[in-house]
Amino acid sequence: MGVGVVTDPSNEPTADFLDVELKDIVQEYPKPEGDGVHRVLDGINLSFGEPTINMLLGPSGCGKSTLLRMLGGVRPIGVKAPTSGEVIIGGQPCDGPHDESVMVFQRYANRPDLTIRENIAFPFRLSLWKGRVPPAEREKRVDAMLKAVGLEGKGGLRPSQLSGGQNQRVALARALVLRPRILLMDEPFGALDAQTREEMQHLLIDLWKAQRCLVVFVTHDVTEALLLGDRVIVLSTSPADVVDDFPIEEPRPRSDAWLMSTPVVAMKERVLDRLHQAKTGQKGQVRVSF
Amino acid sequence: MWNPYDELSAKERRLYGLVSVGTVLLIWSVLTFGSFVRPTKLPSIVQVFEGFTYLAWNEATETSPLFLAVKSSVLRVLVASVLVVSIGVPIGVFMGASPKINAVLSPLLDPLRSAPVVAILPILVMWMGIGELMKITFLFIGAVVFLIPMVRDAMLAVSQQYWIAARDLGATEWEAVRHAVLPMAMPRIADAIVVAVSVMWTYITVAEYVNAETGLGQIITHARRQSAMNQVFVAIGVIIGLALLTYVTMMAIKRKIYPWESE
Repeated sequence: MGVGVVTDPSNEPTADFLDVELKDIVQEYPKPEGDGVHRVLDGINLSFGEPTINMLLGPSGCGKSTLLRMLGGVRPIGVKAPTSGEVIIGGQPCDGPHDESVMVFQRYANRPDLTIRENIAFPFRLSLWKGRVPPAEREKRVDAMLKAVGLEGKGGLRPSQLSGGQNQRVALARALVLRPRILLMDEPFGALDAQTREEMQHLLIDLWKAQRCLVVFVTHDVTEALLLGDRVIVLSTSPADVVDDFPIEEPRPRSDAWLMSTPVVAMKERVLDRLHQAKTGQKGQVRVSF
Repeated sequence: MWNPYDELSAKERRLYGLVSVGTVLLIWSVLTFGSFVRPTKLPSIVQVFEGFTYLAWNEATETSPLFLAVKSSVLRVLVASVLVVSIGVPIGVFMGASPKINAVLSPLLDPLRSAPVVAILPILVMWMGIGELMKITFLFIGAVVFLIPMVRDAMLAVSQQYWIAARDLGATEWEAVRHAVLPMAMPRIADAIVVAVSVMWTYITVAEYVNAETGLGQIITHARRQSAMNQVFVAIGVIIGLALLTYVTMMAIKRKIYPWESE
């Protein structure tokens, strides 16, 4: 089990940025039938040099989530991860959960027995953050997060009293209350209905503007990738390889008109073409919402 | 008729219940009042009631044998429960939290679940004599072999997602268990405790079989020797009542503390 990289506790998270580099990342899982291995990532090289929003777009089951976990998340359990290659965060090799990196999942994992406020303050129960964030500061941060995610006045409620979208807001607040320099999002809005998903996308942009950090966002929705990303990285499936990687300059929030404009439609078609040309098997699916 | 999802009204449910209980009472009354069976085999309702009044108050000693029996049986179950919970729950939690601990302990504990607990009694008598220690140990063993695997399974039933999410937020492995997995498993652990404590009531008669001076099991043993079948019925009825009371009270407390369910 990886111990992760522990940064110097005196080094309070600040606006300055951590370089993240993935070098020749290969990931293999043993086949369930028992013989041989299944390669999901095939020599991925990526680097992130600025606090931007980066979309990892690929068919479902292509290894995007595995790749995301490499960026300072909890590694897959029971296998060596990565099988080969190197992850370098802030100049140091990283092989497990990184303090500066926090992940938001599709399943928000809020504790039903705690209030919304207590859920957002959850990380402060852990020894790591107890020592780093003084109690007065914790309260202030939680108040600010409740407001930032639009749950002001709901701090005393329990997760069962909130909708799915609101619960995902709690999970987002619980991550951002730590002021991470890397925010990893694993299809966080995948289970939400279209309207809630759009609200959450806007919320994410607002939160990111207020608290800039490197966002790496996994999605299998082409439209979501184009709407949110400063950069879109397209992955083929099994084993995943980067088949396209391009920036989007358009300022956010991006309008429907922009999405429908000729160059954007062309961009979308190019992404889909790249995916189809690549060795994408029949099992992977991408979707274009709306 | 054959729709498992059909919901009966409370009134309907009560009616069907009354019909079934009433039928049994009727057959019982016909058999006993009609003198088809001897009272030493099956006492009538009236005889059971007489047995109850006989046990409820003893004129000579000015005490209530039934109350004393209930008191000592409840006390034994209570002491054993405290021990079962305070020892069984932590063991189950550790087994559920660590596959290594589970691998070490489960070959020792799992076979006991299917072992005939009653057959352990003579061994306990040889080891511990015939006093309270033996009785409480017997109740403890009978319940703890159920409780530990259930607590472990409650831990294992919690989605790995909670552990991962906590680890990702910087929790140590133990912290992820303590602050994410265990709280999620608590409602199911509470259910397991309720079941384990209720199970003890089924073992109480066996525990009190050997040399009990007091207790509901002692009443049964004593009454059977005297062919006072009506008193046996009274004691069984009281045990069922106490078991039911235990279950209902504990479930109410559990629902109060954990209004949500484990997934």
